[in-house]
Amino acid sequence: MSWPRLLGLAVAGAALLVLPWFVRVYHLFLLLDAIVFALLAMSLDIVLGYAGMVSFGHAAFFGIGAYVAALSLLHLGPSIWPALLLALLAAGLYGLLVGYVATLGRGIYFAISTLIFAQIVHQIVFYTRELGSSDGLHGVPSPEILPGVASLVLDHPGKYYYFVLAVLAGASWAARRLVKSHFGRVLLAIRENEARARFLGYRVRRYKVVGFVLSAGLAGLAGAIYPGRSGFAAPEFLHWTMSGEAILMVLIGGRGTLVGPVIGAVFFVVLFDVVSSYWKSYPILIGAILILIVTYAQGGLLGVIRRLGWWRPIPSPALGPLPGPAKTPGRSLKSRATTGAGDVHG
Amino acid sequence: MADYVLTILLPQVLHGLVYGAILALVGAGLTVAFGILGVMNFAHGELLMWGAYVGLAALALTRNFWMALAAAPLAVAILGVVVERTTLRPLYGRPPLFGLIATFGLAMILRELVQIIWGQETFTIPSPFPGVVSLLGMTYPTYRLFVLGFSGLVLGALWLFFTRTRAGLLVRAAVQDPEMLDALGVNLPRLFTFTFAASAALAALAGLIMAPIFTVYSDLGVETILYAFLVVILGGLGSIGGSILAAFLIGEAQNLASLWLDPRQATTIIFALMILLLVVRPRGLFGKEGLLE
Repeated sequence: MSWPRLLGLAVAGAALLVLPWFVRVYHLFLLLDAIVFALLAMSLDIVLGYAGMVSFGHAAFFGIGAYVAALSLLHLGPSIWPALLLALLAAGLYGLLVGYVATLGRGIYFAISTLIFAQIVHQIVFYTRELGSSDGLHGVPSPEILPGVASLVLDHPGKYYYFVLAVLAGASWAARRLVKSHFGRVLLAIRENEARARFLGYRVRRYKVVGFVLSAGLAGLAGAIYPGRSGFAAPEFLHWTMSGEAILMVLIGGRGTLVGPVIGAVFFVVLFDVVSSYWKSYPILIGAILILIVTYAQGGLLGVIRRLGWWRPIPSPALGPLPGPAKTPGRSLKSRATTGAGDVHG
Repeated sequence: MADYVLTILLPQVLHGLVYGAILALVGAGLTVAFGILGVMNFAHGELLMWGAYVGLAALALTRNFWMALAAAPLAVAILGVVVERTTLRPLYGRPPLFGLIATFGLAMILRELVQIIWGQETFTIPSPFPGVVSLLGMTYPTYRLFVLGFSGLVLGALWLFFTRTRAGLLVRAAVQDPEMLDALGVNLPRLFTFTFAASAALAALAGLIMAPIFTVYSDLGVETILYAFLVVILGGLGSIGGSILAAFLIGEAQNLASLWLDPRQATTIIFALMILLLVVRPRGLFGKEGLLE
């Protein structure tokens, strides 16, 4: 890592550490939201940005994480560790099932298979009285890091913030290690040219499923943080519009970068908060931004910044085209070369 | 036994047919747009909802269901033209997932506009045929039979259009090879606009004719699009016949399952069955390998 980057990271880290001293509690909650969604968007980026699989079902893993964590905090005691671990495992396990089946198809088939899987969970939770039906689970106690130690009860958003920030840092580190590893490179290869990756001898489907499971687990972890922040888990977490919002965050920030989705999540949460406070119909703005990004700025915010030259371009094909056919049979008006074009490279 | 068949089983089978017919209209519109534009339209459910709401407004204005039935597809087709020109056109030739995501944004906008104009109330449209008819020794709502017949007519007209008219031929040719069509001097952008408008009109028709059976509310689009996706995926992307067959299968499965189960559980069962089907046939019933993956 170069010195300016290290310095930037240190400054950003220090700013995040002192931030709670300068903001009101309301904004602390907002910060917590931003971190939760940053984790969710980052998890989605592993499959969407790196492996090129558009999952429209990440709401399921997020929601499963939230519900499992809430149940654990309610019934297994207030320790945060089993909550996080069980959420991660449950989401990962469901991810294994979804990933195994959905990777039978590609592209739109994959996207819609994941959508259906997510909707199944939503339906089941929404109509199960033991899980609170449409109200969700409420009254989740404040989590504790060490049971019995009063000072380590995360009953204040300021305390919880530091814990969640640590989770984000750890997850970011793990995710970066993952995408920089051989495994991550193979995912990129699959995104760029699945047939070639297969010819090179990689068991493509196995890589896809494992990538999907890891992503699902991380999404579950993101969801697991939420009940500790708010005291509840709601079926809205599982609705497919949540999956859409996660995709939105990844695209706003810039897919295939890990940092981009975090920026996208923060941007989304802030935008949501600012606009929704004085305009009831804020989804119109969000929808319009989504359309504009897909149409004109497929690299997202990070892509725009890169284009302006404020960020060192990464030589890896981190900003390749959204997954799609290598050759779209007879789909283009002008030339086939336009397929996936319009991306920003440096 | 005969009693059970007549009073319980047969009505449910008919309900399934009616529901399937509506889904077939929805699925056909979605498939046509997908086959030609390569855009999986997430906003199709919202176009359907707009059809129902425009019909509602036309009904309030004219007090005539038939006027509403003409106005809804026309107005939504115009909306479709605007959408195609402004949102979809820049995305042609890009991977289909761009279209999926852009139309997701579009769906958010269209849904919100409905809430601005009509609020969050639930509306009902009175049936133009409120009575019942006796059929095979049982009674059945007239309007549902009308829906079945009307959808059949529209689907039949669609089939005639594709097989017997020059415009239909051009549309089919555009699915196969738009570049060649372009080279032959066909005005492709106009054909694309026309196709999307027609797809929107089909959605609007479905939205309006289902309104007297169900209700009209601002989440109608969100809830319908899922079924519409199920229909086109099960049928196989790009196959109109497949999506129509899938629509009737899903309609029947949903209604027959609710004979023994809570309707909500039935929905879950349908989803689970879909997954199983996709395991056996990952590209649906009539999907072709390599098409837009």
